[in-house]
Amino acid sequence: MIKLVNVNKVYKVDEETDFYALKNANLEIKDREFVAIVGPSGSGKSTLMHIIGLLDKPTSGELLIDGKNVSKLNDDAISSLRNEFVGFVFQQFNLIPKLTVLENILLPVMYARRPIKYDPEKKALALIQKFGLSGKESSYPNKISGGQQQRVAILRALIMEPRLILADEPTGNLDSRTGEGIMNLLKNLNQDEKITVAVVTHEAEIAAFAGRKIKVMDGKIVKTK
Amino acid sequence: MSGIFFVLRSSFADFKRSKMKTFLTSLGILIGVFAVVTLTALGLGLKKYISDQFEALGRNTLFIIPGQVLQGGSFSASSFLGGNFDIKDLTGLSRIRDIKSIAPISTKSGDVKSHKKTEYVTIFFSSADFKDITGLNVSKGRFFNKSDVGKKAKVLVAGKTIAEKLFGTPDQAVGQRVSIDNINFEIIGILKSTGGGGFGGSDYDAYMFGPYTTGYVFDPGKKFIRFAIKYNENANVNVVKEEINKVMLRRYKSDDYSLIEPSQLMSAINSIFAVINIVLVALASISLLVGGIGIMNIMYVTVSDKTKEVGIRRALGARKNDILIQFLIESVILSVIGGVLGLVLAYLGVLAVQSVFPAYVDVGSVILALGVSSGIGILFGVFPAKKASDLTPVEAIRYE
Ligand SMILES: Nc1ncnc2c1ncn2[C@@H]1O[C@H](COP(=O)(O)OP(=O)(O)OP(=O)(O)O)[C@@H](O)[C@H]1O
Ligand SMILES: [Mg+2]
Repeated sequence: MIKLVNVNKVYKVDEETDFYALKNANLEIKDREFVAIVGPSGSGKSTLMHIIGLLDKPTSGELLIDGKNVSKLNDDAISSLRNEFVGFVFQQFNLIPKLTVLENILLPVMYARRPIKYDPEKKALALIQKFGLSGKESSYPNKISGGQQQRVAILRALIMEPRLILADEPTGNLDSRTGEGIMNLLKNLNQDEKITVAVVTHEAEIAAFAGRKIKVMDGKIVKTK
Repeated sequence: MSGIFFVLRSSFADFKRSKMKTFLTSLGILIGVFAVVTLTALGLGLKKYISDQFEALGRNTLFIIPGQVLQGGSFSASSFLGGNFDIKDLTGLSRIRDIKSIAPISTKSGDVKSHKKTEYVTIFFSSADFKDITGLNVSKGRFFNKSDVGKKAKVLVAGKTIAEKLFGTPDQAVGQRVSIDNINFEIIGILKSTGGGGFGGSDYDAYMFGPYTTGYVFDPGKKFIRFAIKYNENANVNVVKEEINKVMLRRYKSDDYSLIEPSQLMSAINSIFAVINIVLVALASISLLVGGIGIMNIMYVTVSDKTKEVGIRRALGARKNDILIQFLIESVILSVIGGVLGLVLAYLGVLAVQSVFPAYVDVGSVILALGVSSGIGILFGVFPAKKASDLTPVEAIRYE
């Protein structure tokens, strides 16, 4: 489903020195896969995830989605892909504090450019029920626990029915038991809903949930098995 | 939940959380709009008041006054000084066929003593036609007539206010005596109030009126300061003016007197007020400008405060334009809040001064104020909004 071909991400440190956050990265993630992107801090995991999720552009190289080169798409088209194709889950949850749980979950709907075949509000309420957040619909993010916030973030990622979920250290701000719950949740989404999932982590226990590990070291993908 | 509602709701949530910041940001626009609306209300009110006064003079009226009055739409002060005309002019002008009525006018200001009180009054001395030309009416007694003029009768007609001041109740004033410079006069009539608000102008209520021949006792030179003329309705004004000029030029140079048509004067006044209003609006606009810069300043701060939020929204699929519009809406709301509050305050202010000053808020300045304040919101919001929408998603989302 996703293919990176010779992707480089270069930051200019100063006039002469370039820093390669990603160097000649080649990678394929198949439909319905559950992968873990692992590696030490600063190795380029987040950078890789941002490029896969179309939040960032490679300095060179190509990103193919379903065999289509998306590197050349304009900003509006890329925004729509982010809206419809990917759902993000972040370590800091990244909910908008002034919006309620329900409003946060429905936020992506506001940016949809194509008619949605289902009623998003109904779907959101059903998801809230299913993921054990009943009664929190009109709470604000700072009034619910970290684990609940991360579940809200996952529901927000799910509302547009994406084919891919990208999670960057989704358990990093949670205790291990709550973190495990979140990972189980992602695993179920992968198995039951057939959603492709990529999780960035540096913890082996978390990576163990995935079917395959992609190891990043100093901007290079050293092992994918 | 539709998109625009969602954006509005989220903006208002921000405003609610930082009420003080919102208020202070809007304050600049509030003051600007308040200033623009109030000042134009005062300017327009004054202009309307003055044109109403001229309307009251009625149609088919002409004035002859000494000196040059209208040069390129401006007054020269000298034209209001001194009397030059005399009975010969009156006789000459009276012969013009199309002149229906003519009132020579001289004035005397001084202490008028009743049996109770002394008041400083201005007295207008004129002909019996004066009543007709000015449209004055008596509420009690009578106006002086031709025979009073012929007899140099020592009679006066008093305005309502001055009658009240001198005699307590105006009704009792008729038949009473007053003295001016030790000369005795009889009050023969009281005028109906002409109103005229609390604001200067030709409020007849404060004056007294008498026959011009009687006025000679105060002016051995027997001069008039002006003539008020009413001509026949079906006469051509240019013909009438030509006839008048013929009479006047026999005795005066064309620079020594002016023949004034109120409508002409009106256009001069209108052009003066147009300039005054432009100056007032320009001055008030400076505060609008300052208000706009205040909004821009705060919007830049808001953009950096909300960098993370922009990143989140971009990650969820917001396009550059969605972000741009979100920030624009916010700055427009800020300035419209200021605009509406300023408008309300200006309206209350105008209501408050209306009893003493003829101010009024017209729809035009309301539309202008709201249009301008939302325009300012867009104009000064667009740069910060552009900055927000140009953030790259990854930079914004990594921002702490
Ligand atoms: N905007 C930037 N300018 C310069 N260098 C950057 C920038 N963004 C990231 N980097 C560098 O790129 C490298 C990879 O960063 P990245 O965030 O992908 O690491 P990571 O593997 O996610 O680390 P962690 O586990 O700590 O989150 C780091 O060395 C980082 O300093
Ligand atoms: Mg990272």
